[in-house]
Amino acid sequence: MSAYFISILTEGAIFGIMALGLNVIWGWSGDFDLAYYGYVAVGAYMTLLLTIGPPTAPAHYILGLQLPYPLAVVIAVITAMAVGLVVGLIALRHLRGIYFSIVTLGAVYVIYVVAGQYVPLVDGYNGLSGLFDPMGDWFGLDYQSYQYFLMGLCLVMFALVFILMWRISGSRFGMALRTLREDERAAAAFGRDIYRLKLKGYVLGAALAGFAGALFAAYLSAFNPSAWSPVGEVIALYAAVLVGGRGNIRGVVLGVLIMGLLVQESTRFLSMLPGVGQFNTQHPQILLALRGALIGLVLVLFLRFRPQGLLPERRFVDRQPVGEAAPAST
Amino acid sequence: MSDATPTPALEVRGLTKLFGGVRAVDDCSFVALSGQVTGLIGPNGAGKSTAIDLISGFKLPDAGTVTFKGAPIQGLPPHRISRMGLIRTFQSPREWGGLSVLENVIMARADLGRETFRRGVWGLALAQRATSARELIRAREILGEFGLHDLRNERAGNLSGGQKRLVEFARIRMAEPQLVILDEPMGGVNPVLGERMAVAIEGFIAAGTSVIVVEHNLPFVERVTDHVVVMAQGSVIAAGSFHSLRSNQAVIDAYLGEMVPK
Repeated sequence: MSAYFISILTEGAIFGIMALGLNVIWGWSGDFDLAYYGYVAVGAYMTLLLTIGPPTAPAHYILGLQLPYPLAVVIAVITAMAVGLVVGLIALRHLRGIYFSIVTLGAVYVIYVVAGQYVPLVDGYNGLSGLFDPMGDWFGLDYQSYQYFLMGLCLVMFALVFILMWRISGSRFGMALRTLREDERAAAAFGRDIYRLKLKGYVLGAALAGFAGALFAAYLSAFNPSAWSPVGEVIALYAAVLVGGRGNIRGVVLGVLIMGLLVQESTRFLSMLPGVGQFNTQHPQILLALRGALIGLVLVLFLRFRPQGLLPERRFVDRQPVGEAAPAST
Repeated sequence: MSDATPTPALEVRGLTKLFGGVRAVDDCSFVALSGQVTGLIGPNGAGKSTAIDLISGFKLPDAGTVTFKGAPIQGLPPHRISRMGLIRTFQSPREWGGLSVLENVIMARADLGRETFRRGVWGLALAQRATSARELIRAREILGEFGLHDLRNERAGNLSGGQKRLVEFARIRMAEPQLVILDEPMGGVNPVLGERMAVAIEGFIAAGTSVIVVEHNLPFVERVTDHVVVMAQGSVIAAGSFHSLRSNQAVIDAYLGEMVPK
């Protein structure tokens, strides 16, 4: 298996977990959350802070505890949940729709600016690095076999998250979240504590974001402000969820596959467009710009022509034959 | 407990709500009796809808008490009031449009012990999944009663306005509250369906659910009850049987004669 495929599958599994978490918040609870990638970043930063050694001058960062990677992942997930809880407590109290989105946009910029500018925390723009092949020496893996190991780990974790989300999707909890998306006043009238329920969904989403961030940190072995942006990544995740099918976990995975391949392969075929090839040699940014435009175009086309996505949300279907209908009105 | 004096299902005392300088509900007091239908009528702007919002917890009252099942409920959040057994509907049907009709009915019963994340993940038995067999049978039965059985797998948002009203009624049957407040159930509903709703309201009473119905359509109110509370300008101006109110000058003045049944 080529290094290219290994990286695609590893990244795909990580982005799959991210998209499934976003699906809880946007697909089920129905909130257009822009802070989401901030929780990925919190998970990634926290994992690095807990696993790498203490800072040596001129680097500045907190912790540096050299904890075992699995323990660091657990703490990173809890940290992401805590940050998500704080944002959710503020943003979900009364705000909905665009107002909620704006507050979460503010939240993710706070995370981004603090991480990037407040040097003593995570070394500002330099970020953190030095998480090399976590758990690799436990199994005596060399560099080559470690790539397979990490791919396998990410795929297994993705599978576990998928099973978890599949369970939630068909459960009363998942249904209750959907009633919030569809009409939360009615949900309250029928006994749902909407604030509490929305917070639960939000923190669950943040947990998956933090978990994906922790895996991402192992994959990148470093994390810094140039590895993410407050909005760019989350829009790509939204595109994946929308294209695949909001609310449908299989659709979300399909969306990640499609958008992932589009992002990966577009630079190849875009350079074959007439004129772009020559232009690209002078202005290498043109391909990235075209790729962004392509993602935007796909997003617009789906919003216009198939807003429910390729695999629409599934409803429980009662297959009892009509002939056995319950007796008519008494 | 004697038959002569039925217990109150709901007691409202001095309920008041100000919006800026407007007294939307002003010292409003009335009693809805248990096991009966109470009509709450009044001209536009009388404060009926605000009163319902105050009673059901969707708005906070500035003053007054609401007593339900012997306990004060004013100021409680809507879900707490709903869980106590007081469910309200809204002027426009608020179906969960993306869910199926059947799912709408099943989720009307807030089974909170089963709605947790933990039960969602670990609940292995069918009874812990979204629908239990017992719930499914009950929901089918109710949908059959309301003639919605063939539409049960349809997206609720695709139904007509009248059908959505029926879904709302079916949800209340499923939830089995002690008291339901129906906010203008006849809004945009044709007379044939109206008769069906009148029958459904009788069904609520038979099932032990007391009813308060807020309605502009006075013939419909008269069809379902003889006990009426009249509101105007935020206060209750009269209460009693339909018959006695026909000659009540305050009621006639409030309606300016336009809608008073002859």
